[in-house]
Amino acid sequence: MAFLSLEGLSKHFGTHVAVDGLTLAVEKGEFVSLLGPSGCGKTTTLQMIAGFVEPSGGAIRLEGRDLLAVKPAKRGLGIVFQSYALFPHMTVAENVAFGLEMQGVAAAERTRRVGETLELVGLGTFAGRYPRQMSGGQQQRVALARALVIRPQILLLDEPLSNLDAKLREEMQIELRQIQRTVGTTTILVTHDQAEAMALSDRLVVMNHGRAEQIGPPHEAYERPATPFVASFLGRTNLVNGTTVRPEKIWFATSGLAGKVRTRIFQGNHWLYQIETADGLVTVIRQNTGEAMPGEGEAVHLAWAAT
Amino acid sequence: MSRNGPIALIYHTLFVIFMLAPILVVCFVAFTPEGYLSFPTDRWSLRWFYAIGRYPEFISAFWRSLWLGALSSAIAVAFSVPAALAIGRHRFRGRDAMTALFMSPLMIPHVVLGIAFLRFFTELGLGGTFVGLVLAHIVVVLPFALRLTLASAVGLDRSIEHAAISLGASDRTVLRRITLPLVLPGLISGWALAFINSFDEVTMTVFIAAPGTETLPVRMFLYIQDNIDPLVTSVSACVIAITAAALIALDRAYGLERLLVGRSVDGR
Repeated sequence: MAFLSLEGLSKHFGTHVAVDGLTLAVEKGEFVSLLGPSGCGKTTTLQMIAGFVEPSGGAIRLEGRDLLAVKPAKRGLGIVFQSYALFPHMTVAENVAFGLEMQGVAAAERTRRVGETLELVGLGTFAGRYPRQMSGGQQQRVALARALVIRPQILLLDEPLSNLDAKLREEMQIELRQIQRTVGTTTILVTHDQAEAMALSDRLVVMNHGRAEQIGPPHEAYERPATPFVASFLGRTNLVNGTTVRPEKIWFATSGLAGKVRTRIFQGNHWLYQIETADGLVTVIRQNTGEAMPGEGEAVHLAWAAT
Repeated sequence: MSRNGPIALIYHTLFVIFMLAPILVVCFVAFTPEGYLSFPTDRWSLRWFYAIGRYPEFISAFWRSLWLGALSSAIAVAFSVPAALAIGRHRFRGRDAMTALFMSPLMIPHVVLGIAFLRFFTELGLGGTFVGLVLAHIVVVLPFALRLTLASAVGLDRSIEHAAISLGASDRTVLRRITLPLVLPGLISGWALAFINSFDEVTMTVFIAAPGTETLPVRMFLYIQDNIDPLVTSVSACVIAITAAALIALDRAYGLERLLVGRSVDGR
């Protein structure tokens, strides 16, 4: 039996269908991402698990128990919000201690666990600060510590990294993954960032128009997309000769599809090409190995492995 | 900060003079030794400040205005908290009508309110009582209290409350530990603005105050009807001095901008 299961979960707002019969089984300790463009229903799904939005139909079960019958305050879930939602009038330690206080944990035990959790997220020396005195990345960690300290059955992450700059986001992805591995909490991440979802998750749920288009491990979804939507959402694709080919799987050859280099962009570790062919514009990504590459205006031939 | 050009500078100077001139004139006149309103030229005197001592009703009216403002503003703020939380964060039937109702005292001329309350309080046996004054002032200052309370309720991030709920807090705990502390700056600003409006109110109060329950502005208004001596100017100068001192103290302790705009704790 799955740890958390969504069974035909739906949400209608008037005539608008936000979530349309979503079924998903999450195993204990698994890291699952709900991935999709804005308006695909991923956040609504998260809010229904959290209890802030009431489903129009379907069921949510946690270890077989009906979660919908449990009040949001009693569900014991840890949530990290996009805006972090820290309590601005409380110090970092008070923020993190809040959940323990609500559970009636004794003061000494509380202090110990708050200290422990702040260590875990690398903020051991920040206990006395206020959120406004911290950077976005640090606030994000406080939010994570506050959610983890109550030892939640499930950790829900709502676009937790989207307010950080690109470099910090990458660092936090690695750290988040490590922390999740350490504590082993079942985690559901909502994101529109396919790179983030692929980097972090055991499995992806690629959503569109309230439905799951594909559920599976990131590598599988990328290599064998179930629908054209999944293919285009998980990275770039080319449609040549009626088949979809990833740009990094096309190489320059002596024969094959003839074309002319329209633009060539250097991106450090790789080159990004736009090739004009009889089949239309084809995107090609080649590793930068230090060798000379075809320049703009040059005639080239493209080849790729048959799938 | 961008530098202003000469025209902007002249404009600002004229504007400040226009705003401050009446206040300065009143303060100057207060120091006249004459028995009528005159601009002191060569001789200065504290005569009219000492004269306040001979009119204890001015002193008691001042304290009454202070209490009336503090009390009616506090009650108006207490009323506006649940109203602001409901109006600011939920969509329900009659929401617009409710907002319009609470804001309506702004639209009704105070003369009309004064006459209406006079008639109403006489009927209830509250005519000329302090309780009557408090009730009437609550109605008049409620829009000011509500406006700022509403602004801070609307600006509140719902996910902060959701975070507290997810951590196991009951609705009551969320209100007490999270929501109220976060809207507190708005409540303080709302109270301050309401207090200023109550302290200043004369048009309505003159109808419902009786001898013995006159507020300071009413006392001054009535005095100036029968007398042309500069006593009211020395009283005004005192009020201006007290106000200035209070504003400076508040600015040092809390920040005037924060007080009157109602910035939240974490608003930078």
